[in-house]
Amino acid sequence: MSGVSARSLAKGSAAPGPVPEGLIRVYSMRFCPFAERTLLVLKAKGIRHEVININLKNKPEWFFKKNPAGLVPVLENSKGQLICESAITCEYLDEAYPGKKLLPGDPYEKACQKMVFELFSKVLTNKKTTFFGGNSVSMIDYLVWPWFERLEALELNECVDHTPKLKLWMAAMREDPAVSALLLDVKALKGFIDLYLQNSPEACDYGL
Amino acid sequence: MPGDGTQALGKGSCPPGPVPEGLIRIYSMRFCPYSHRTRLVLRAKGIRHEIININLRNKPEWYYTKHPFGQIPVLETSQCQLIYESVIACEYLDDAYPGRKLFPCDPYERARQKMLLELFCKVPQLTKECLIALRCRRDCTDLKIALRQEFCNLEKILDYQNTTFFGGDCISMIDYLLWPWFERLDVYGIADCVSHTPGLRLWVSAMKQDPTVCALLTDKGIFQGYLSLYFRNNPNAFDYGLC
Repeated sequence: MSGVSARSLAKGSAAPGPVPEGLIRVYSMRFCPFAERTLLVLKAKGIRHEVININLKNKPEWFFKKNPAGLVPVLENSKGQLICESAITCEYLDEAYPGKKLLPGDPYEKACQKMVFELFSKVLTNKKTTFFGGNSVSMIDYLVWPWFERLEALELNECVDHTPKLKLWMAAMREDPAVSALLLDVKALKGFIDLYLQNSPEACDYGL
Repeated sequence: MPGDGTQALGKGSCPPGPVPEGLIRIYSMRFCPYSHRTRLVLRAKGIRHEIININLRNKPEWYYTKHPFGQIPVLETSQCQLIYESVIACEYLDDAYPGRKLFPCDPYERARQKMLLELFCKVPQLTKECLIALRCRRDCTDLKIALRQEFCNLEKILDYQNTTFFGGDCISMIDYLLWPWFERLDVYGIADCVSHTPGLRLWVSAMKQDPTVCALLTDKGIFQGYLSLYFRNNPNAFDYGLC
């Protein structure tokens, strides 16, 4: 599958040609968690695809013809049909391609998966208040913070377009005295993970 | 099957029993646009159902066992399965029940309807804010400009497709999912927000000729009566117009 590790296309780049028959193309970015959803489904279903990475900090003009919002992921098939929004692309792939179905066949079970996804999306987008529980830090913020702290430590935050409220929440959390007192050092975390993956007993004491 | 005309259940009410076989239950409120979506689908597909209206200002304690935050609509089956979020409920009904399919069969066309729904996603909040601003006699010029912009985006789609309905030449799921907010434009006092979108106006007229839409159309006087009571925090608002 070409392109997963390819350099991103930026402003001034030539628009790619049509998608060859028998392939589907995904416009992606290597560190974007939303685009990763689509790549996971493509992989899980064994769908032949090509990847074009987009420079989200310097978007090619032609990319806005693929998605007026300028976001990844976007699917393009050989008929020139374009599908945007990560969850919609994933469901499209499950429906359009044969093989293992990722969504359950039973209507109720399928609805259950969508209900869980909605709850998860609410965590990600957090439209209403600054913090998850209201206008000041509360238990729910502390309960979810460790996962977001690690996500940020391990990935470049290139997809802030999707989740500006989340970015604001993370900045607000960093100001919290408890959070800032315990903030993970990124280098130490990476060192820990390296050793941990090697099953080293020294992993847990990295940096001490 | 009873109409939507049952009194809203509030605190202290008895929890309803299990849903009888052969029926599906919807927890609803007569004037809620989200529930309206699901009631449209139930009607369009001819699904036998019963409606329990919930007093949203005075929710029964038992209702939180149906939805963690006490929201509507919620579907409950005779196997005690609960489905919430209006769009998920609508899709569930289309999947689970035979007969006329409201979503297209083609995966790309299905994806297009879902992308259209995303395009619409700011409209509910904007119409609600306009309503509140007007009721509180605040200026809503900026809100209406924003709403007009959203309607322009939808107009472009109709224009590009050159079809009567959002899904093509026949009414389909996406039209029912959008309809409740357009039905409310007049009674909310913002009907002029479609003054610059002729395609949308044509769509509204076409929708009003659909038998399902017509069957569930709420009388304007009753809706206004509800809104007056609602904005005065009258707990009987939800039952306005019931005999």
